[in-house]
Amino acid sequence: MTGPAGLEQGYRRLLAWYPAGFRSEQGEEMLAVLMAGAQPGQRRPSLLESLDVLRSAVRMRLRSMISAPQSQGWADALAVFSVAAPLFLLAVDILEVALPYRVRATSRFPLLEELLSRHPEVGGLSLLRVQFFDIAVGCQVIIAVLALLGLRWAALAAIGASAAYVAVASTWIDWIPRPLQLLTAAAYLLTAAALAASPGPRRGRQLLTWGHGIVLLLAAGAVQASTLRYDATTPIMGTLSHDATPSVSLVVTIVLAAAALAVAGLLRVNRYFLLLLAAMFYPYVMQLAYPTNSSSGDLLGHPTPAHLAVLFGPPLLVAAAAVIIAATHRRASLPAGPGQPGVA
Amino acid sequence: MQEATFLILTALAAGAQHGYGIITDVREISGGRVRLRAGTLYTALDRLRADELIGVDREEVVDGRLRRYYRLTPKGSELLAAEAARLQANAAAALSRLKLGTI
Repeated sequence: MTGPAGLEQGYRRLLAWYPAGFRSEQGEEMLAVLMAGAQPGQRRPSLLESLDVLRSAVRMRLRSMISAPQSQGWADALAVFSVAAPLFLLAVDILEVALPYRVRATSRFPLLEELLSRHPEVGGLSLLRVQFFDIAVGCQVIIAVLALLGLRWAALAAIGASAAYVAVASTWIDWIPRPLQLLTAAAYLLTAAALAASPGPRRGRQLLTWGHGIVLLLAAGAVQASTLRYDATTPIMGTLSHDATPSVSLVVTIVLAAAALAVAGLLRVNRYFLLLLAAMFYPYVMQLAYPTNSSSGDLLGHPTPAHLAVLFGPPLLVAAAAVIIAATHRRASLPAGPGQPGVA
Repeated sequence: MQEATFLILTALAAGAQHGYGIITDVREISGGRVRLRAGTLYTALDRLRADELIGVDREEVVDGRLRRYYRLTPKGSELLAAEAARLQANAAAALSRLKLGTI
């Protein structure tokens, strides 16, 4: 095909690189501009034109991937959180398996030294052979999949089952609670509230963007780096035996956490979503700030009611506030007419 | 603010224009120095609309092809005025220093 018809076909092929939403809204308009700017007798798009359109199409695609239109309300923040938090916990577990490290026991703990001489690796694929860990990771996978599928009540039931398993397992296994368990507990609490009170994980999945993914992946990296530091500096876990040092881990943690915050700010992530994330991280950060050898006591090993109130009070308050606000908004959005069904 | 953005907003300052009109106007305003291509223009228009600096004024079909006219929003006018004042102040400072230097 030659002449204007061939040129138009060429432009249409280039426009096909744009996201579907842009094409349907502005494709014809942009085609008109391209045709108006063509040289007399031009038979196909020039190289410079083609490169310019392709570059623009890639930028639009990237932009639509990382910054889909976001609602700034509570309800949508909860909906996004109900999907994002299970995915985040899964990312943390995957990083734990993907990035193994070794610890060396201090001489103060001969039993631990003996144990670690047989299992010096922390994390890695060997984790998946540990009964407690494999079931726990299995639960995370199930919760994340159910949330992604938009199955609100099934995801809630899976969270309940997973929490019950951890509670029961902790009575038969003499395991050492770590800050990660606090993070999981807070995430479960807030996710359960989000699943119950939000418009649902299906809505959350629609609003979830690569921007949320980047923020959560950076945060998961910060969690992994801070866990390394915790294990290296906590007597009960021994000291690191290879090149990673606590100070390096601290720097990596700070850099990744700052990057997560910067990306969240840059992409204008819903501020209520950030509040939910802050509530989820609060017990974890508290435990890192007050390690087991702290003079203020052991928040994990021998928690008192006061410890639990300090650790879980703020996430509980945020979860309760989220449920109340979402319920109030839902009631306010109900149709005024008598006998009308409510809006879910 | 990037020069292309400044010129696009300037092109719309006097009234609504369609895409090709903006391209020709920007070339004229810049004395032929800035030649916007369609891809660059629509990337910029998409961002400016998202930032609520411009909006759609109207649509027309001319010779069977769609034309969409864009206009400055009040927020866009404010931003353009502030940017123009900033550039003017910088230019005035530069010219005044150059005069001092030649004395």
